[in-house]
Amino acid sequence: MNEIAIRFILNGKEVSVKAPPTFTLLRLLRERLGLTGAKAGCERGECGACTVILDGEPVTACLVLAPQVEGRRVETIEGIGNGEELHPLQQAFIDESAAQCGYCIPGMIMAAKALLDRDPGPSREEIKTGLSGNLCRCTGYTKIIKAVEVVAGKSRKGSESC
Amino acid sequence: MVPPVKDRDQGIGMTEYRYIGKRTPRVDARDKVTGKTVYSTDLYPDGMLRARVLRAAIPHGKILRLDVSRARKLPGVEAVLTHQDIPGHNGFGIVTPNWPVLCVDRVRYRGDALALVAAVDEETAEEALKLIEVEYEPLPIIDTPEEALAEGAVQIHRDGNIQHRMDIPPKGDVEKALAESEIVLSQTYRTQFMEHAYLETEGGVAIYDEKTGVITVWCGDQYPFRDQLQVARSLDWDPLKIRIIGSPTGGAFGGKDEISVQIHLALLAYRTRKPVRLHWSREESIVAGPKRHAMNSTFRIGAGKDGRLRGIDVQVVANTGAYDTIAGPVLNLALESSPGPYKYPHSRFRGLSVYTNSAMGGEFRGFGAPQVVFGLEQELDKLAGKLKLDPIELRLLNAVEQGDISALGHRLQTSAGIKDTLEAARKTDLWRRREEIKRDLAAAHPRLRFGVGVASEWHAVGLGVGLPDFANVTIGIGEDGGITLRTGAIEIGQGNLTAYAQILAEALECGIERITVIHGDTFACPDSGSVTASRSVLINGNAILNGVKKLQPLLVRVAARALDLPEENLAYGQGRVFSQIDNGRSLSLDELAARAAEFALPLQVTGAAVFATSDKDFGDGLPHNYYTYITQLALVGVDPETGEVEVRKVISIPEMGRAINLAGVEGQCEGGVVMGIGYTLYEKVAVEKGEFLTKGFSTYILPTTLDSPEQETVIVEKPEKSGPYGGKGVGEAPTVPVTPAVANAIHDAVGLRFTRLPITPEDIVAGLEGGER
Repeated sequence: MNEIAIRFILNGKEVSVKAPPTFTLLRLLRERLGLTGAKAGCERGECGACTVILDGEPVTACLVLAPQVEGRRVETIEGIGNGEELHPLQQAFIDESAAQCGYCIPGMIMAAKALLDRDPGPSREEIKTGLSGNLCRCTGYTKIIKAVEVVAGKSRKGSESC
Repeated sequence: MVPPVKDRDQGIGMTEYRYIGKRTPRVDARDKVTGKTVYSTDLYPDGMLRARVLRAAIPHGKILRLDVSRARKLPGVEAVLTHQDIPGHNGFGIVTPNWPVLCVDRVRYRGDALALVAAVDEETAEEALKLIEVEYEPLPIIDTPEEALAEGAVQIHRDGNIQHRMDIPPKGDVEKALAESEIVLSQTYRTQFMEHAYLETEGGVAIYDEKTGVITVWCGDQYPFRDQLQVARSLDWDPLKIRIIGSPTGGAFGGKDEISVQIHLALLAYRTRKPVRLHWSREESIVAGPKRHAMNSTFRIGAGKDGRLRGIDVQVVANTGAYDTIAGPVLNLALESSPGPYKYPHSRFRGLSVYTNSAMGGEFRGFGAPQVVFGLEQELDKLAGKLKLDPIELRLLNAVEQGDISALGHRLQTSAGIKDTLEAARKTDLWRRREEIKRDLAAAHPRLRFGVGVASEWHAVGLGVGLPDFANVTIGIGEDGGITLRTGAIEIGQGNLTAYAQILAEALECGIERITVIHGDTFACPDSGSVTASRSVLINGNAILNGVKKLQPLLVRVAARALDLPEENLAYGQGRVFSQIDNGRSLSLDELAARAAEFALPLQVTGAAVFATSDKDFGDGLPHNYYTYITQLALVGVDPETGEVEVRKVISIPEMGRAINLAGVEGQCEGGVVMGIGYTLYEKVAVEKGEFLTKGFSTYILPTTLDSPEQETVIVEKPEKSGPYGGKGVGEAPTVPVTPAVANAIHDAVGLRFTRLPITPEDIVAGLEGGER
């Protein structure tokens, strides 16, 4: 199949990569860019394991065609920490033992990050709604919700003290 | 100074531990939250081919013609394999290998595999599948055991439609006991096929190395050494030249104990001499992979007016699908689980597992227990209602204790804390103040009705008597003092690697950061048995402790040489070897490691452990010697207009001996509860005339964050002296009684009993319109 060049901003850096135009963003990331943090759980937009952030919005990368990201900003789990330093959500997921098999976790953290980027201090109900498109079969969600609440709570306290 | 001798009786005392019973962070957490964990489906080796499997187009029929010639000619296709290309045994199965690798002359369910394709890309592989021509002669399709057992039914296998029959030797005279009982309850319960729905579907990569003759298969699984044998058997290959790397796994829940892609990948890699990747689609995972068996369970239970259980008669019929895999043991455990942790002087348990052309029944967390406990625990609630007894009181009145004779007739030799869990349940605010809580909620939500329910379970740990139930580990200390633990066990998400590291660090009294766990690789680790049956922490834990008993004398020997002291004057403690006669002289682990290297004394040991077994042997693994005991409470709100049920709160009260990792036990409970809620209210693999109606998550409904109730885990500790630091296991039990606890809570809310799963809004509305179902 003919391949086309796709240029976009991936985790803050400009990239140019060739792929068939029928490739999804998920396959582009995993098979052409070596970023396997976004997972293929259903490839129909039903499980959320491939969630990445596209221009600030959480999307299921399996439903985005690769050419659609031309010139846009894509954030993945590999890009949210700062080198060895973890993103606060990643640290909270460790502290709260929120990962079990871990396969849903990159997508879950990206969905949570998109939520907190929009609103740094969501309520518990808003967190649950914000993560309701991301399936997890191991944890029952309890510790995942708690981990996001911890980060949201710190932010809420911060804004209250201002 | 003589170091304090630490409590070595494995947790019976009140020793304060550094790691055991703590919230030690998971050893794999950092990689999992950064996306760095490499699962088998994350591998894309250079030059690899993509594989696809041709599945049966009809649920049951003879294969009259299978022609792959057009597919083989498609440019980009490197191999198309059929049954003729299997050098060894064309079958797999944990117990009986009658599940064809590639079908020869018949298909028996929609997931049957007929041909394999390997091509340069996904699109070509997909295209090649369409070019394979198959001509079938359809046969009658059998959906249910009733149809399979009917006179004149088509025979799915040469030996008939009964896969397995189990009659546990009866205890006493149950007919007489029921005839003499003042209250007799009788009811049949029906349960559905359930999908594991691990987020990572079955998949992996295989590479054949022509130089060494080794075929390596990366595939998330539960028991790499059994996979190794099954792959070798089908390829007619030396098992020692099959390398399986099965860890980590993106969820398994029993569904990855059996072969999925391993044999197909190995066949293709050998044929093409190229790396091959195969990753099942979600639909393929649902259709082809094993499910929780659909079962019908009929209970007859007799009791006296005093509430004491007199006898129980249980008959279970399992819909096992087309092939065996591990259906016999699943049925057996359903029978063993069916009386619950209660005493009955008279009992009889009979089961039948029946072939059909429906979904494939297989291993699934709970292993036959959820199907029967759903029924038993509602029957006990009905009994409490008839006697006007508190449901917890009724259970306490009949609950077993360590040393008692079980319903099956074996002596309960290990810790049995069901009474403790019931006592703890009785003390919870939710139970004590339940009427008040329901009243307050009803005042705030006048449209809804609220209920509280309780249920309990005993869940067998280990494979059972007569089966090879062991683990091996190796422990090595490197020159730099780093400790490497090798186990064949798989990290399937439950956190066992962390538990092993905790046990080893505690036993060696050293920092956990020193320990690296290498796992799940048949070329790098010893055989530790399957990660199944809630067994891996108990048996690997004991293997680790046995290894440490051999490692400490080695360390003493190194110190003796280094300090020039007799070994009998030295002792291991607090991560050092101390001189007992010579105050202050000691060597740290780092020093010992360096000196051992200098003396060329390898600090490497093996540790092994075997499960202690029951005093009785009913055959086929029955009964078991260890159980997790658990009581769960559920608070539900029911909307009588829409029939919707909201589970608002669940409290899990497990007794697993001792919790090795608190957060790990909570995680097992929280995840098990939500999985159990899915089973109770939403999930059903719908199959009609052998065709799957649920092929993805838009039709097979999983619980989401919005269905996740408030949860509490109250851990009851009753250390078991033969378990590592008193631990048993907890992986499966929390999935089980939550179902009848919710059902009992629904009854408490709206007065309806349901005997079929899942309990849907339609069932509730119909029930409220038509009275009890």
